[in-house]
Amino acid sequence: MDSNKRPDTMERITTPELADAFIKEQVVELQKQIGDGKVLLALSGGVDSSVVAALLIKAIGKNLTCVHVNHGLLRKGEAEQVIDVFRNQMKANLVYVDATDRFLDKLAGVSDPEQKRKIIGAEFITVFEEEAKKIEGVKFLGQGTIYPDILESNGVKAHHNVGGLPEKFGFELVEPVKLLFKDEVRVVGKQLGLPDNMVYRQPFPGPGLGVRCTGAITRDRLEAVRESDAILREEFAKADLEGKVWQYFTVVPDYRSTGVRDGKRLWDWPVIIRAVNTKDAMTATVEEVPWPLLNKITQRILAEVKGVNRVLYDLSPKPCATIEWE
Amino acid sequence: MKVYIVDNGGQWTHREWRVLKYLDVETKIVPNTTPFEELKDLDGLILSGGSPNVASDKDAMGNNGEYLDKAEFPIFGICAGMQFTCEWFGGKLGPAENPEFSKVDLKISNHADLFKGIPDEITVWASHNDEVKVVPDNFEIIATSPTCPVEAVRCKDRPIYAVQFHPEVEHTEYGAEMFQNFLDIIADWKK
Repeated sequence: MDSNKRPDTMERITTPELADAFIKEQVVELQKQIGDGKVLLALSGGVDSSVVAALLIKAIGKNLTCVHVNHGLLRKGEAEQVIDVFRNQMKANLVYVDATDRFLDKLAGVSDPEQKRKIIGAEFITVFEEEAKKIEGVKFLGQGTIYPDILESNGVKAHHNVGGLPEKFGFELVEPVKLLFKDEVRVVGKQLGLPDNMVYRQPFPGPGLGVRCTGAITRDRLEAVRESDAILREEFAKADLEGKVWQYFTVVPDYRSTGVRDGKRLWDWPVIIRAVNTKDAMTATVEEVPWPLLNKITQRILAEVKGVNRVLYDLSPKPCATIEWE
Repeated sequence: MKVYIVDNGGQWTHREWRVLKYLDVETKIVPNTTPFEELKDLDGLILSGGSPNVASDKDAMGNNGEYLDKAEFPIFGICAGMQFTCEWFGGKLGPAENPEFSKVDLKISNHADLFKGIPDEITVWASHNDEVKVVPDNFEIIATSPTCPVEAVRCKDRPIYAVQFHPEVEHTEYGAEMFQNFLDIIADWKK
């Protein structure tokens, strides 16, 4: 798989049969490329790296080391699911690093969004490098590059999310899904046995909940983001909106307003619900969530999430708002 | 066919590149400071959108004027590219009475070339604070909206077309068709 050009004759993978054929082919290619070698892969929990992991496990089993870094900004249950699917179910060699304290300590007091992103990105690379050094004899780095990554960057090797890692360690890249489109990656993922909620997962930003706990991140407000987000996702799933709305999440700004509960005066945060539709995130429309569902979600958030006394719905399309708040 | 995109600093320039790529055109994004000499062998040029007020900020618009003066091939101006074009040929710009962001109801009045095969009323996506107040003498209006009287223009004596809205974003209906129509305009002109 030296070429970065998808052959014009390549059929779009839309059925389990086509996915099986692709998987069979790729396993052979991977074994050819890797032989007895060892592969390192950063497992983010996103569908691309998960599919690459599942393919590599099939091809080389324990010669793959997956590293899942928990930066403390993941959604509720996310890290646990990665461990369950990959370590317990697929029997992968999984290194789980809970770096929550490291990340949150470095982010303490930092309110500038760009600064926050830089810190998270840099710390991630540092943690990943530390783990990479601990594993002996690794020659290959797996990556979840997909075809749009190549198309959008002018056909040149796609942008890595792990900084200068390949150059620094002299890794050879392993990118088994680099000629696939996103929809194809999902079909393949399903055939490899990945759970639906991983395969059809909504897009999730690199800095995670860090950009949804706007301003300087504190553990308590981050928890409010995490809990309210879990409630939103649960209720959307119950209402059969999962997989139908492109992206939906909660934001808790660093702002308080008055409230009253059982006669007691409150001075708490609002939760902002965001639900948008788009194809490429360059422009977006707001989902018309039915009123009764918004009410149900509001009731649950106000009853179950500590430190929150209001729920708002973000009505703004892109432009002029962006999808995320930071 | 070789059609390049002049980057005037907008947030969707890459999208314009992508539409052309998916229409199988040889294309590249070039800075607006590129000398016309390097672009003279193209089949067409797109003048992209840019940041607010950039159309009147001559320094930010680079060589757009040189392209409009020297090019014989068709040119398609988008948003800031459109505003600059109108001002360059003697029109007037000013703050929009109703700045338009996101959804706009477009009413097309001329289906001759750029809007060939497209319905009279469609939804388009816009993002602008300024607008064309006076259209240059050698241009005519080919589309309007309830909030903006000059949504699209064409030049009467040269193959220059321009739109205030953004045909390259997914939420503009028939956007890709407009680009294909521009490519058809180029094909006709080449004959």
